Amino acid sequence: MTQSLPPKNIVFYADDDLDDLELVKDAFAQYAKDVEVLTATDGSKALSYLSNLKKYDTIPCLIILDVNMPVIDGKETLLRLREMEHFQEVPVVLFTTSSQPIDKNFAQRYNAGFITKPIDVKQMEFIADKFIDHCADDIRNRIRRQMQ
Amino acid sequence: MTLQDFQLLPEARQIDELYQSAVYLGKRKQASSIILLYQLESFYVEVYYRKYRSHVRHLHCFESTELLDPYLEQIDVENLV
Repeated sequence: MTQSLPPKNIVFYADDDLDDLELVKDAFAQYAKDVEVLTATDGSKALSYLSNLKKYDTIPCLIILDVNMPVIDGKETLLRLREMEHFQEVPVVLFTTSSQPIDKNFAQRYNAGFITKPIDVKQMEFIADKFIDHCADDIRNRIRRQMQ
Repeated sequence: MTLQDFQLLPEARQIDELYQSAVYLGKRKQASSIILLYQLESFYVEVYYRKYRSHVRHLHCFESTELLDPYLEQIDVENLV
């Protein structure tokens, strides 16, 4: 008898900066057993992927959005996600070079987290943990338990 | 904060200041190194990396807008015309 493994948690990350995409994928490598990072390079592609998920597909446990992206930016992507039934409660984090209060307030207004992109190791260290902090309690605890 | 005030800070404080208050303007590559450009009030700071967003090689602060040229050249104006 074979036992199927539980599906991995999906973290979905949209950013047009390929270096930042790599950076975040590398940061989640320590959680590779439980977390798979899927990526898109603009908000339009992110919305296209997410809106086409079927009933039995795994909904991401976390969506990370860069703010300054071509075609549809991160803020507009967040607004559109919040209008979609399946994504009204899904944790979203705006991951941006900005540290401006206006952007933080925007994220807060639409029930999203806000993380400024790191400049050095002090902010880079534990970045994956900072993202995981935004996941639902049960998922966050499960991911952390697997690491122990 | 003036450029002179910024230059007097230890590097760790300079990086904190950039993280908390600066505006990101652009990015360029030189050989295999990545350089990020920030504006802090009336001056600019380039962050040269040994490892992208993790290990800073050094900071280069300046006020001259001429040094922005490598970043301005990357802007695609085609869609703005």
